[in-house]
Amino acid sequence: MGAEALLKLHHLHLELPTGTALLEDVSLTVKRGDALGVVGESGSGKSLTAMSVMGLLPGLKASGSIRFEGRELLGMKDREWRRLRGAGMAMIFQDPMTAFLPVRSIGAQIDEQIRLHEPVSRREARARTVALLGRMGVPDPEAAAKRYPHQLSGGLRQRAMIAMALSCGPALLIADEPTTALDVTVQAQILTLLCEIRDSGAGVMLITHDMGVVAQTCTHVAVVYSGLVVEQGPVAAVMALPLHPYTQALLEAIPPLDGPRPDALPTIPGRPPTPDARPEGCVFAPRCRYVRPDCAVRPALREPEEGRRVACVLYNA
Amino acid sequence: MTILLEAKNLSKHYRLSHGETLRAVSNVSLVVHRGEALALVGESGCGKSTLGRTLIGLGSPSSGDVFFEGERISGLSDRALRRWRPRMQMVFQDSSSTFNPRRTIGETLAEPMRIHGRTGIAERIATLLEQVGLSSSILSRYPHEFSGGQRQRLNIARALMLGPDLLVADEPTSALDVSVQAQIVNLLRDLRNSLGVACVFISHDLAVVRQMADRIAVMYLGRIVEEGDVLAVLDAPAHPYTRALLDAVPRPDRPLPPPLKGDVPSPIHPPQGCAFHTRCPLAQPRCSQERPQLRQVGEGRTVACHYPLL
Repeated sequence: MGAEALLKLHHLHLELPTGTALLEDVSLTVKRGDALGVVGESGSGKSLTAMSVMGLLPGLKASGSIRFEGRELLGMKDREWRRLRGAGMAMIFQDPMTAFLPVRSIGAQIDEQIRLHEPVSRREARARTVALLGRMGVPDPEAAAKRYPHQLSGGLRQRAMIAMALSCGPALLIADEPTTALDVTVQAQILTLLCEIRDSGAGVMLITHDMGVVAQTCTHVAVVYSGLVVEQGPVAAVMALPLHPYTQALLEAIPPLDGPRPDALPTIPGRPPTPDARPEGCVFAPRCRYVRPDCAVRPALREPEEGRRVACVLYNA
Repeated sequence: MTILLEAKNLSKHYRLSHGETLRAVSNVSLVVHRGEALALVGESGCGKSTLGRTLIGLGSPSSGDVFFEGERISGLSDRALRRWRPRMQMVFQDSSSTFNPRRTIGETLAEPMRIHGRTGIAERIATLLEQVGLSSSILSRYPHEFSGGQRQRLNIARALMLGPDLLVADEPTSALDVSVQAQIVNLLRDLRNSLGVACVFISHDLAVVRQMADRIAVMYLGRIVEEGDVLAVLDAPAHPYTRALLDAVPRPDRPLPPPLKGDVPSPIHPPQGCAFHTRCPLAQPRCSQERPQLRQVGEGRTVACHYPLL
């Protein structure tokens, strides 16, 4: 797959009608065949980033640029959005129980999406639905298509959700915490499926709070904190040597699964600022162990190494 | 070590409307020593929460007995159980739904002591707030004014108000962000060390369990399949299910392993033989016919598997 960017966010800025900025200057790129993990804690703005790509935040004021397959999405009309959603890009959510309509079978809901975008008969649509469910690893897909969401297990519901998202062959799949509600063994199955989708040439944007999930499914990672991207780069490089103190602290806070057991886990003191009380300088400075006077000025994203970016004064040349 | 709590052949079954039975917990025996932390681990529906609740008398067992300091507490009336309640307390997962939103934190923290007719409430609250790392100035505030981490601290403080000997904590950190989770894990460990309170941690997160517990009991479909020292079990699991659980934990330092096939079977129609044989990568014909019993494998370790990994 080429190096051409499928999705490019450039200085995306998102604010409430009151003027409070929710996202400040988010720049990200997703290429075909790549999976970008957007990782951060609750309230960091990772889901907002995903929603704004899907055009699902009509009440917020957005500026900057979101380019998808070379086309600017900001300012696009509702009708154009509707054509794009599902066919160009699709999204799956944390809880497939609430994302499906409870009173219609999952097959009917997937059929509907296919027929909305393509002129095919009911029978053809159902055949495609069944084939998709089978490809997603749903056992006995024909019978599964006739079932209602509550009749499926959490893992199967998430597979059905992914089948629905892929039904019109989108080039970009956005997954917002797709495995958070699942058990670990089922989570591993869904992550394997996401890796297969990525390897088949789609672009994947995975929103998660779990560094382990990012490491095991993504090719690239962007760490967001308080509405800003503080670090981004190839997954292997970032996991091996995180540059930003926040990324370092996030990785250290995960309890070890082998080796000696520490008396206390390293923690990050305090908590993230709310969007209306974001510090003027570096947003992480109040909690940072390396804080110094020049942190009072907001550091720009710099590229200390090829392909890696970090917003921290430690890397100012 | 003296035994604080003991469960013998404990089962909890629920009758469903169609004449079917959901076997949430089947024939579980375990002990919790004074001051010890035991982790109950498994996936949703394995019966870990039901077991935790049944242990401290929230719901009576269908069969089997629970003993606290050698006295039988299962099957007692609510009234008779009241005497034991202050000795064992519960911390729930979701701290946003366990506080009365219309009561101040001060009122909520005082309630357990008031119910049990204790005196010196204000001093006790002050001591506990300090122990969980919060300031006494928050007593007039309401639950919604706190962050998730602070609320979980308050949740723990409330459970400790009566000075219990046993704390049952159901997923105490799973609703929290990782940096806050680390704070709560450390807090629970410190409190255990300073107060000597025994804990039963119910969790699905093996890394958190490894950090907090002394012993671990791994459950699958209502039964304990492996039990032992937490470090010994997680460093070298004897049961293929424990191995699979461990491998499935997403970690920054290793690639995604091939996942287990299928879902956890329904506890209404559990498989014959070993309940795990439908998903086990090492299953043999015997596994689908004969249920393996828990047996000793090494010092203080038991496993229910015909072909253990040890």
